[in-house]
Amino acid sequence: MKVHHADITTAMRTPADSPSGQEPSSEVNGASSGDAGRESRLVVELKGIRKSFGSVEVLHGVDLEVHAGEHVVIFGPSGSGKSTLLRTINLLEEPNAGSVRVLGVEYGPGVPGERVEKRGGPLQLRRHVGMVFQQFNLFPHLSALHNIALALRSVRGLGRRAAEEKAAHSLRQVGLLRFAAHYPGELSGGQQQRVAIARALSLDPEVMLFDEPTSALDPELVGEVLAVMRVLAESGMTMVIVTHELNFAREIGDFNVFMDEGLVVESGPRGFFESCSNARTRQFMEAVL
Amino acid sequence: MSLVANYDWSLIWENKGDLLRGLLVAIEVAGVALVISVALGLVLALLRLGKPPVSWLAAIYVNVFRGVPALVSVIWVYFGWSLVVGISFTVFQAGVIALTLLYSAFISEIYRAALQAIPKGQREAGLALGMHPVRIFVRVTLPQATKIAIPNIGSMFIGMIKDTSTFTVIGLLELVRVTQNLNSTTFQPFVLYTAAAGLYVVAAFAFDFLFRAIEKTLTTPPSGGIARATAGRRRRRIELVMKDVEALSGKT
Ligand SMILES: Nc1ncnc2c1ncn2[C@@H]1O[C@H](COP(=O)(O)OP(=O)(O)OP(=O)(O)O)[C@@H](O)[C@H]1O
Ligand SMILES: [Mg+2]
Repeated sequence: MKVHHADITTAMRTPADSPSGQEPSSEVNGASSGDAGRESRLVVELKGIRKSFGSVEVLHGVDLEVHAGEHVVIFGPSGSGKSTLLRTINLLEEPNAGSVRVLGVEYGPGVPGERVEKRGGPLQLRRHVGMVFQQFNLFPHLSALHNIALALRSVRGLGRRAAEEKAAHSLRQVGLLRFAAHYPGELSGGQQQRVAIARALSLDPEVMLFDEPTSALDPELVGEVLAVMRVLAESGMTMVIVTHELNFAREIGDFNVFMDEGLVVESGPRGFFESCSNARTRQFMEAVL
Repeated sequence: MSLVANYDWSLIWENKGDLLRGLLVAIEVAGVALVISVALGLVLALLRLGKPPVSWLAAIYVNVFRGVPALVSVIWVYFGWSLVVGISFTVFQAGVIALTLLYSAFISEIYRAALQAIPKGQREAGLALGMHPVRIFVRVTLPQATKIAIPNIGSMFIGMIKDTSTFTVIGLLELVRVTQNLNSTTFQPFVLYTAAAGLYVVAAFAFDFLFRAIEKTLTTPPSGGIARATAGRRRRRIELVMKDVEALSGKT
């Protein structure tokens, strides 16, 4: 099923902003030539994604396009395959079939009959994709600062001092510089999630994936994490967000995707929450909102 | 008991040098064996968590050597290997090898459980950041697993020290051998073996204390005496970076 996009009005990051210096490659524009008249470059393009665990297929051929600067929200009932879909974008789940293209490079098995110009491995892919987990997944044996510094040293090859300084800058971005020496166990859930966001951001990703980033938080801590995400969205970061916070989704979502039973049931641009027509979508929204 | 009219407790003090040297030999053999056993045990644990043909071999090794008594192990290594393979070891080497064969099996089980106790999300977080799997293992999984494994490795070490007492059969001059030698000239087994038992207990206490201290430094945030010194330095370092960044952001 093809996901259609309306005009994207959100401010886009210019290539000069892009920290890794990765220019949008020409294949990207070629690939999105079907959407006539759109200038934005494709950051993520999933086509015909199928994924099975053992003999059970949980994704039955899903398509998704994410353009630069766009905030895509994915929602749907538990077990519908939202996490699995999100995790194929950075190959934490390897799809059994389908195309995973990020910045024009193919990382998946591909679509039969389609020519692949550039192929990449998971390490290359993950340099461009940041991810935030429901359970934060900070390294409990390292301070907040060194959670981030380890990533910078390992992935960007920075020296110790440079990594620590860049890590401190990232902590400052999420308002947690004064907690730099704290261990995850000494931070609230909201603070841990903000450190996790800072850790992913410190690597200057092209796109950020969020898998229910506030679901594990006490209600009074949800706001601080959403506030950080809001600022990030306003800065023009490309984001894919799986969330049950439908009010936040309505506010931030440039494009909304409703999934059920391993398929995209319905999707649409801003106003989707009012305009959606599918019976299952409506039923789900009435139950949640 | 009534056969021995007098217990000559002064024998202990008179022979304290020999007794302590015996204990030291026991600790040395056990210590060298511990280091090798931890390394080998970790490798075995990884093999066992790996793919079938190799993981089966690792499982067989572990299950065989967990069941062998130290006494049999050391006789097998010291007398058996030299007969069959033609390699002869010193008594010290034979003791180390005998212990390593057994305790690498035990420690691999300790590490296997510890590695499995690390949540899947830790590795996934590392992967999502783009870290190389080997680096994730070394910097994320292994330190956390070691923290879990340390108390059990500590009690293994105390067991290893005690097991060296059987190495008297190959003539290793450890504590029991020393005690036997002293007894053969003084005929005071109760006194001398009480001293030997006391020394084993003291060693067990000392190493229990040591491993607890190591365990404490590995908790997060680190606690205990050893940690306070190093954690203070780390904290000051972080504070320095914080100041720099604050100063820098103040300017812009
Ligand atoms: N590692 C796995 N092994 C086996 N089955 C899995 C695995 N991961 C997910 N599944 C199954 O795949 C289906 C989709 O799971 P997924 O986690 O993607 O759903 P979700 O939409 O994220 O649900 P939730 O809202 O509860 O997080 C479920 O039926 C789940 O049981
Ligand atoms: Mg999920």
